[in-house]
Amino acid sequence: MDKTAPDMEPVRYVQIDETLCNGCVLCMKACPTKAIRIKEDRLAEIQGYCIDCGECARVCPRGAVAAVRGNDFDLSESGEYIVSPSTTLYTQFGEDVLPNDILLGLKRLGFLYVHDQAYTSEISSFATELYIRENREKKDAPFPLISPLCPVVIKLIAYRFPSLLKHILPLATPREIVTREAKKRVAEKYGRKPEEIKLLHITPCQAIADSVMEGASRKGPRQDKAVGINAIYEPLHRSIQEIDDDRVLHHSGGIGLGWGMSGGEVAALDRNCLAVSGLHETIQYLEKIEMGLLQDLDYVEFRVCGVGCLGGPFAVTDKYRAKHTLQKLISIFGVERRIKYKYVIDLYNKGWFFSDKEPRSQEIKPPQLSSSEISRGIERQNRVEEIFRLLSRKECGACGAPDCRTFAEDVVDGDTTLENCVFLKKKER
Amino acid sequence: MPALTKTFFIKARDFAKAGESSLQIQSILKSIGFTSDLIRRISICAYEAEMNVVMHGGNGELLLTVNPEDIVLDVNDDGPGIEDVELALREGYSTATPEYREMGFGAGMGLPNIKKNTDSLEIDSHNGRGVHLKMSFKVEDS
Repeated sequence: MDKTAPDMEPVRYVQIDETLCNGCVLCMKACPTKAIRIKEDRLAEIQGYCIDCGECARVCPRGAVAAVRGNDFDLSESGEYIVSPSTTLYTQFGEDVLPNDILLGLKRLGFLYVHDQAYTSEISSFATELYIRENREKKDAPFPLISPLCPVVIKLIAYRFPSLLKHILPLATPREIVTREAKKRVAEKYGRKPEEIKLLHITPCQAIADSVMEGASRKGPRQDKAVGINAIYEPLHRSIQEIDDDRVLHHSGGIGLGWGMSGGEVAALDRNCLAVSGLHETIQYLEKIEMGLLQDLDYVEFRVCGVGCLGGPFAVTDKYRAKHTLQKLISIFGVERRIKYKYVIDLYNKGWFFSDKEPRSQEIKPPQLSSSEISRGIERQNRVEEIFRLLSRKECGACGAPDCRTFAEDVVDGDTTLENCVFLKKKER
Repeated sequence: MPALTKTFFIKARDFAKAGESSLQIQSILKSIGFTSDLIRRISICAYEAEMNVVMHGGNGELLLTVNPEDIVLDVNDDGPGIEDVELALREGYSTATPEYREMGFGAGMGLPNIKKNTDSLEIDSHNGRGVHLKMSFKVEDS
């Protein structure tokens, strides 16, 4: 385990079912933070820092590692809530059900107010462009900038690539903007106090659901809730069939709809961009940026789920079907932003878009070691190298550690013993 | 004083493996616990030096030495050497072939980038007898 891990509360995204786990090595090997160990050859255990990526649940062939099902929401309380669905929700009912139908369906479920996040996404997209333009000229920000949208990517950067924290775009994400602004507006509209109004996010993403429920490092009212798309899908589906309303609640063009799909966020940016999705490729490209490559790019969109948020664990529809629906929707609504540019420029100049979590790099402070600690670190590393040289490097995982190097580290740290290496044992015989 | 040393071999024109040493160096330095900015500077230099060997240098090796007060990368290769070191240190100057430029290299930023990110840099090059690059990084005491 990485002993230099930033000091963070672990968020447990997955649960391991002891009755189903047979202690195979797949989840342990898939974990990007090497947080999993197999105990006594029979049970996987999360011991280190979990970034909520869900890779372990994806690779488990026995269904023993599973995403904790999202929270439930009691619809009888909906009158107290603004609801703001992720744009991924728009892709879950096929191409014949338009975003406006889905928003009306939510309204019918009794919510106080229904917010269209696609519109906010279009505003955000233009603000991103303004930020890039401003900083390319001033040469201030480190390039390439990295999208702040995927919470797992942010945690991955904090844990494995802390020097890249300053590359993260310092603007609030559409969801953060909604959280900040929607209550104020709705309170004004209905003559109520902002603190009386609650906000419900509907999301395909366990990591977002977790961070909302924790109220993680967010200022202001914390009565927000988040549910998975799967938790509200059935009643919403019924509600959509019974719409008898022709109000217009959806205001975006196709650009705002597309953020859940890999490439959708950067599609509207008239800049030099890249869209990378999937955990392994995300890691590869972060490694490249850390080595000083890709500086010619302005912006990189990372999504840890393949295909993007459409592949999130709480999505209901198959991710490729959802992608197809989304592409249809984009062609229906067109690739222009439907925003008032002048208005967004004014907001941008007032600092409206900047994240209240700024600077993001302070969310997690990398440890600063004294010289005696450095000496100890070097000594430890020397012992790790010494043990590593003894090992077969078959990377089998039978010892309970994900790879030979990590096993060597665990031996030095006293978490396991050399006897657990099956190849060393074989040699002795 | 404890020191850690490790040698990495670099194979000429092996683009598939190029960058591996830098990644390993990164991971060693991370687990010792150096600050991320220092590690980043070192990995940028290790990568640039590694690529220089892969592209121009023939076979070579990279020696990492970690002391509590400084970190040193020594890179040796058996290639043709750098003809004009002063020129090579100039931004934008490159002797990369069109083939390498196609692959996205050859912006003429390799050595200038190394110079920018090291605390001290020695380049020892003789035509026909390879290059020795010694890059040092101070460890700031906190």
